[in-house]
Amino acid sequence: MASNSTLARGGAMPAVTAPAYSTRLSALFNSGLYQSTLGALVSNKTTRMVLLAAVPIVWIVMMHIGPIYQMLKISLLSNYPIQHGRAPTFTFANYAIFFSEPLYFMPLIRSFVYATSATAVTLLVVYPVAYYVAKIVQPDRRSKALLLLLVPFWAGELIRTFSIIMLLANRGALNVFLRDIGMIDRPIPLLYTPFSLGFGLVYLISLYMLLPLYSAIDKIPKHLLDAAADLGAGPFTRFRRIVLPLSRDGIVSGCSLVFLTSIGVFATPMLLGGPTTVLFPETISGFFHGASDKWPVGAAFAMIMLVSALTTAAIFMRIVGGKSTRLM
Amino acid sequence: MRTMLADAPRTALTMAYWGFVLYLFLPLTLMMAMSFKNAAFIAFPIGDWTFDWYLKVMQDKPFLEACAYSVLVAGLTTLAATVIGVWIAMLIATTEGRWGAVLFALACLPAVVPGMISAISLRIFISTIDMPTGTSAIVLGHTVHAVPFVVVMALTRLRSMPANLVDAARDLGADSVVAFFRVTLPYLGPAIGGGMIFCILLSIDDFVRTFFLGGYRPTLPMLIFAKVQGGMSPEINAMATLVLLVTGAVGLYAEYYTRRSRSR
Repeated sequence: MASNSTLARGGAMPAVTAPAYSTRLSALFNSGLYQSTLGALVSNKTTRMVLLAAVPIVWIVMMHIGPIYQMLKISLLSNYPIQHGRAPTFTFANYAIFFSEPLYFMPLIRSFVYATSATAVTLLVVYPVAYYVAKIVQPDRRSKALLLLLVPFWAGELIRTFSIIMLLANRGALNVFLRDIGMIDRPIPLLYTPFSLGFGLVYLISLYMLLPLYSAIDKIPKHLLDAAADLGAGPFTRFRRIVLPLSRDGIVSGCSLVFLTSIGVFATPMLLGGPTTVLFPETISGFFHGASDKWPVGAAFAMIMLVSALTTAAIFMRIVGGKSTRLM
Repeated sequence: MRTMLADAPRTALTMAYWGFVLYLFLPLTLMMAMSFKNAAFIAFPIGDWTFDWYLKVMQDKPFLEACAYSVLVAGLTTLAATVIGVWIAMLIATTEGRWGAVLFALACLPAVVPGMISAISLRIFISTIDMPTGTSAIVLGHTVHAVPFVVVMALTRLRSMPANLVDAARDLGADSVVAFFRVTLPYLGPAIGGGMIFCILLSIDDFVRTFFLGGYRPTLPMLIFAKVQGGMSPEINAMATLVLLVTGAVGLYAEYYTRRSRSR
């Protein structure tokens, strides 16, 4: 290690190899300026570590932890943004507000109900699809079969939500179709109901279930299934005794991902839901509109949601996943 | 009879797959078809078809400005997230044991925090550092969101890299910076390319962070959201279809690109 550094600092070896790689990058690295600045710096082990670690650690502390920390801090203040003549004091009152009114805690309960049911429905719908692609489709066609499922997800959250309106509106495709085949006389109100919201949520998040499930099922060795079949196990037994236990990691990470994503969805409930389906993100956002001085309450509500959602996901992973699985 | 019974699960699974494909494509297809309706309101059946909405949208100044703004934000985001993400991945790859795991978990944190919470915490954060809402705040928010994905992609590739490549470069006299730019970075190429395209799609699609961090200039999702709330016409369908075609092409190219570099 030490001898390498000496060589690099002296510039002896790079100078010899330079003509063979006369790219601009080499010219830069062989220049005297580089050798006396960055090159000299990285020849020392400590400065090399500092160079490598400084930016990532500053970024992670400031940008990954910083916002959550600031949110926690402000949720414990009596007022923010700080105004003249009103020094903020430390208080838990913002958290108490949450429990004071059904108007506040009902949306959180509703958010949990929607996110949990959407997760369960997505698992039931996507599992057979993931299994089909991973185990039934011929290996050379597998990536095409997967690609077909990925394409719709390149349309963003908003476009996919909007497209659900085309299907479910009073004069949308479904109602017009049912009327034309004579099953209904007047349109069934589907849009702006709990149904349309649930339908839209599942439509939005199923990719996050598909990918973890697919990679887990794909890893199950086919000869295990063949052996079980040879020993007389029927399809249902093979599924229950082999496929399901061995795809547990995929189920756990898929469900956690889907749950955490669907609980934080903001635009979809506003576009597809109705007055009876106000979810918690909309409640939180109310505290941040305009020149409101309610930021600490909103921050407290967001903290309540973050902690309860992460705790739920962690408990779920503990129960279903056993000890070995982690979130990522 | 017996073979029919044995094939029943396979048939059911095949139907589940194609049913799911139909479920995924039907709403988007209807959305695109509606963009050709010759009327000012959205309703089936389409009846009279026209191309006028596209001609109108192509000359719509707010739409074109939103496109340009989204591209600008996505470009800046991709640049920042790629540099930071690869840098973090390099640090994690050289940190062993418990600290490496802690770093990895913290690097992935923004990917598991629900979108709304992430947006609110960033909104509070930029106000505590006196950053105004607007372009810089949006780019910051999108970058925080995109970094974990770059980290995971770069790290996966780094872990498959033979350690002796860098050792060989060092033996030949390269210092660690030279070895990084001449050996590690070219090896990471495909992962970085895939990560960059992912960053572009994440940034162009993002709504909730932009909603709380943005100023008066709308990005594409903001514009579409405002139009959907303000009263719908097939004009939105034409806009959404154009956006969908472009992001779809980018996504397909990404798929082609990563597959080509994987087979190499």
